[in-house]
Amino acid sequence: MRSKTERRLTQILSMIPWVIANPGARVEEVCDRFGYDRRDLVADLNLVFVCGLPGYGPGDLMDAYIDEDEVVIDMADYFSRQLRLNPAEALGLLASGMALTSTGQAPPALESAVSKLRDALLPDAEAVLSVDLSEEPEVLDILRRGATDARVIDMVYTSLGRGETKERSIEPWSVFSAMGNWYVSAHCRTAGGERVFRVDRIRTAAVTNEQFEPPAEIPPPEVRYTPSEDDVRATIRLGPNARWVAEYYPVEELDQDGLVRFSASDAAVPARLLLRLGSDAELVDGDETNLRVSEIREAILRRYL
Amino acid sequence: MKNVIERILNLLAFLLTVERPVSAEEIRETVAGYDRDSDEAFHRMFERDKDLLRSLGIPLELTFTDAWQIDQAYVIVKGDYELPDPGLTDEERAALWLASQVVRVGGQPAGPEAILKLGGASMVGAGEPLAANLGLAADTLGVVFVAIAERRLLSFSYRDVTRTIQPFGMRHQRGHWYVVGPASRAAEIRVYRIDRASEFTTEGKTEAFERPAEFSVRDALPNAPWEAGEEDAEVTIVFDPEVAWWVQRQISTSAAVEELDSGGLKIKLAVANTDALIGWVLGFEDKAEILEPLDVRQALIDRVMER
Repeated sequence: MRSKTERRLTQILSMIPWVIANPGARVEEVCDRFGYDRRDLVADLNLVFVCGLPGYGPGDLMDAYIDEDEVVIDMADYFSRQLRLNPAEALGLLASGMALTSTGQAPPALESAVSKLRDALLPDAEAVLSVDLSEEPEVLDILRRGATDARVIDMVYTSLGRGETKERSIEPWSVFSAMGNWYVSAHCRTAGGERVFRVDRIRTAAVTNEQFEPPAEIPPPEVRYTPSEDDVRATIRLGPNARWVAEYYPVEELDQDGLVRFSASDAAVPARLLLRLGSDAELVDGDETNLRVSEIREAILRRYL
Repeated sequence: MKNVIERILNLLAFLLTVERPVSAEEIRETVAGYDRDSDEAFHRMFERDKDLLRSLGIPLELTFTDAWQIDQAYVIVKGDYELPDPGLTDEERAALWLASQVVRVGGQPAGPEAILKLGGASMVGAGEPLAANLGLAADTLGVVFVAIAERRLLSFSYRDVTRTIQPFGMRHQRGHWYVVGPASRAAEIRVYRIDRASEFTTEGKTEAFERPAEFSVRDALPNAPWEAGEEDAEVTIVFDPEVAWWVQRQISTSAAVEELDSGGLKIKLAVANTDALIGWVLGFEDKAEILEPLDVRQALIDRVMER
């Protein structure tokens, strides 16, 4: 997390070169561009005004003030160049831009911005850095349209846990990609509550003509650990080779040593995971899951043996 | 905070103007704000300020000013301070800002610092009903990124073993970040999932290796987890009708798929990592069956027996 001091210094060291390069800049524009309100800008200009070169007399300090709504900075040539991005900033910006362009949904301005940034930061970026969101399923367009226009969507969905296929009516709030999958968060009219659906489990979807009232505040788009009353719980000890599970499933971490609480709408989800992980994980607590593991194991062995 | 900012601005103004290495002692005597009475107070303050500059992305370098390498001094190399101007338009900056809010790296929307440094933008909220999370903290990825950009050797701990590679490139694919590179010039190029590694460090000099001209990180990565590995097997699997749609959505178009009369599928896959393949097949419970080869079939049975 950035400290306040860091953020403010970045603001000052970014604002100065821009004002120098754009003489006659209006207060309003500087504020809008660098996230200031007028009072904060004045405070920072006053601060710049008392800084400068050793000697620190009138001829050594920077000039910084507001003149009839124009921001003026003088005697600050050493700060006339933009600050370099640190590695995390550079990677973050490039990765976000490249991810969005990979979906084919990016505006032309983003495409050109990414290519200019790539050229400036990492000349052979094309070969060495690449970001792909998972491929966009066709149904995504329909969902996005429903979310943008606040229209109800009718869909056929096969649940991940039970594998049960059902018609559902949803009010789509947002479409997002996380952990390599696309999701839609919505109010599910059929279930009567908030749900997050995996887009690749949607068999068919259609936008209806019915409008819905979106909630004043849409919950942040993420796959959350939100156990509900009816959920199945399982406590699982993850071995070193299975630690990645904690990052890719919504789990509650119970200690530093790989003990997690898993919550799912159906015991089949943790049961399958346990079978996949083999001896890399151990079920510590969860009768329903344990029963399901045996059932699935028996079924598989019946088929194979 | 005001004092810190004034001190830092004075220090930067001085170092960027003198353009020569300056000792800590000279800074203490010359730059306003550093005139502390005790040595300890000065050093504590100076150390803190150095950390602050570093996290801002301002490279304060330590050099020696004498042939015996005894006297140390600080210098800011101008070219390292400045951002090579990418020449962005206002519209492009605004598009980048929106992208950084919509696509989050490490779950958090990016702060405004990067956009500010690029010249600022009108930062209105993102009303787009589309978002993506690229996982992993930008700081970790930043270390890998620098190693790639500067062609430094990269070390990390992977499955409890410390490895050092020549990092050729990095890629985000299907929800995971990967770093790609060989252990040495002659070695084979390997792929490592970044979230399964830890303790990333870069050491040594820049431009420590050459990247082959034809290298492309996009081609270096396999499409499916079972394509990443050193094995060489062709595996035949049958799937029941009820899961056929789900299989079709998950496999690449290049796989040999035969539709059975029952509505099920028979698929032949080239597999380099049988362990990963077995994990995937088990997700179908008893609705899928590995037919061949027999040792892979047996490995699945053994895995199930482990439970």
